[in-house]
Amino acid sequence: MRVGSLAIGRSGDKGGTLDLTLVALDDAGYRWLESRLTEAVAQAALARVMPGQAKRYAVPGLRALKFVVSGALPGGVYATLHAGLHWQKAAIWVLLDLELD
Amino acid sequence: MNERVVACGAGFAGDRTEPAVALAASGRVHAVALECLAERTLVPGLRARRSDPQAGADPRLRRRLRPLLPVARANGCRVISNLGAANPRAAGLQIARLAGACGCSGLRVAAVLGDDVMALAAQVEWQEPFSGELLGAHAYLGADALREAVVEGADVIVTGRVADSALFSAELLPILLDEADALAGATTVGHLLECSGQVTGGNFEMPDGDSLSAREFAELGFPLARVFADGSAEIGLLDGASGRVDALTCTLQLLYEVHDPGSYITPDVILDFTGVKFEQIGRNLVRMSGARARGRPRKLKVSGFVEQPGFVADVEIGYAGTHALQRGRIAADALRLRLDDWQPEDLRIDLVGVDSTLGPASLPAPNRAPEVRVHVSARCADAEMAQIVEDEVYSLTLSGPAGGGSVRSERRPSLAVVDGLIPRELVRTETVWEQAP
Repeated sequence: MRVGSLAIGRSGDKGGTLDLTLVALDDAGYRWLESRLTEAVAQAALARVMPGQAKRYAVPGLRALKFVVSGALPGGVYATLHAGLHWQKAAIWVLLDLELD
Repeated sequence: MNERVVACGAGFAGDRTEPAVALAASGRVHAVALECLAERTLVPGLRARRSDPQAGADPRLRRRLRPLLPVARANGCRVISNLGAANPRAAGLQIARLAGACGCSGLRVAAVLGDDVMALAAQVEWQEPFSGELLGAHAYLGADALREAVVEGADVIVTGRVADSALFSAELLPILLDEADALAGATTVGHLLECSGQVTGGNFEMPDGDSLSAREFAELGFPLARVFADGSAEIGLLDGASGRVDALTCTLQLLYEVHDPGSYITPDVILDFTGVKFEQIGRNLVRMSGARARGRPRKLKVSGFVEQPGFVADVEIGYAGTHALQRGRIAADALRLRLDDWQPEDLRIDLVGVDSTLGPASLPAPNRAPEVRVHVSARCADAEMAQIVEDEVYSLTLSGPAGGGSVRSERRPSLAVVDGLIPRELVRTETVWEQAP
């Protein structure tokens, strides 16, 4: 199951920290994501692309999961070696395109 | 009156200018807030102010306010903005003059000062040590710093660094019940509105790929909120405006750039979003309630800007036609060989159209691509090093795979942003009044 078939998402950043928000479309989708997309699973996926350590926050009342990756953007968004600025706006697709059993 | 309508007229320094005018012209809005401050405008402002004490305000100030001020005045709509950037005092004077020149004689402008804490830099607790020259240090002021200007009836309030949400919640201070959760609600409204189109359907896609149309994005309406004394609110759009406001757009924006959703720190109040509820009460109209206060921070956040020598050189070369992807890959490998004495952490080479954004997490590459671009970024100590990287890429037009071209390059100055905290009692704010001639 692709995470992005159950949830919408958005990337944000503050300083060197990346934050990723997923919001499930319904309760069943939220429960599935909440049980499958653990902090360790997200960390393994994100580590292919960025440094840092992911911490998960669950907000069941909003059917939302947050993953906050401190140290993901060393030196902040202006220090990036990616093409152009603000590649991190697309970082949520690392999670949305994740296939989980 | 125990309710007020606030709206967002800009969500970043380069945002569109016409939605603010439409919101002010509606006659429904008590205040339109323009969030325009970014490191990329503040830092040039700090540099400009060194040589000219009257410089340092946002360079887009005139372009933004010239069409807005007469409409806002005619409709009794206050304008609140951090367009003051590195010099809110000078911005206040500029705005008063501009207002006089566009038929708004008598308009009262309040400049709120005090965010510049460079003189207190030694008392800032920096989160990490840094090297390089500190260009400036700015504390995030809260809505309370704008209270005098609101209560005394300023037509325009201009600030430097203020928490984005405070540009909105300041307008609401006079109507809020005297309880912390009401302030929490008002601050949450500011947080929901501060990124303009991000709560009205921008930067938003459903799982099936559904999003707004090109025309709707092109004409996207910016949000407004009718806020009540208890801090609850109705988030929506002007009648007939393009966009989408529902529980999903609101939830994504609520949690945007928030770390712990149970403890989001703003200068005025620590917010707990975990009990927030969004309820659709009409087309593109959502009722928000349930934000809670978790105390008031004892310290204010400070952003420091550190100038470091050197550049990031960001260079691309393109390939097109049959075998374009193959030629691009070979070009990238040739560059890796040419630049093999560079430190790996100071160099990035990838393919735009294949893996330049998500790297190893990118979706599988196509076998054939009609065109591809090779991208190189390198951290360079000085301009000469940057030129070497640029020249290496350019050299591929003669000494690389066939048909390399469409070269572009840019140099980004090296700028680090460092965070710190300062005891709030050290930060003194001041309101300076100007009047349009």
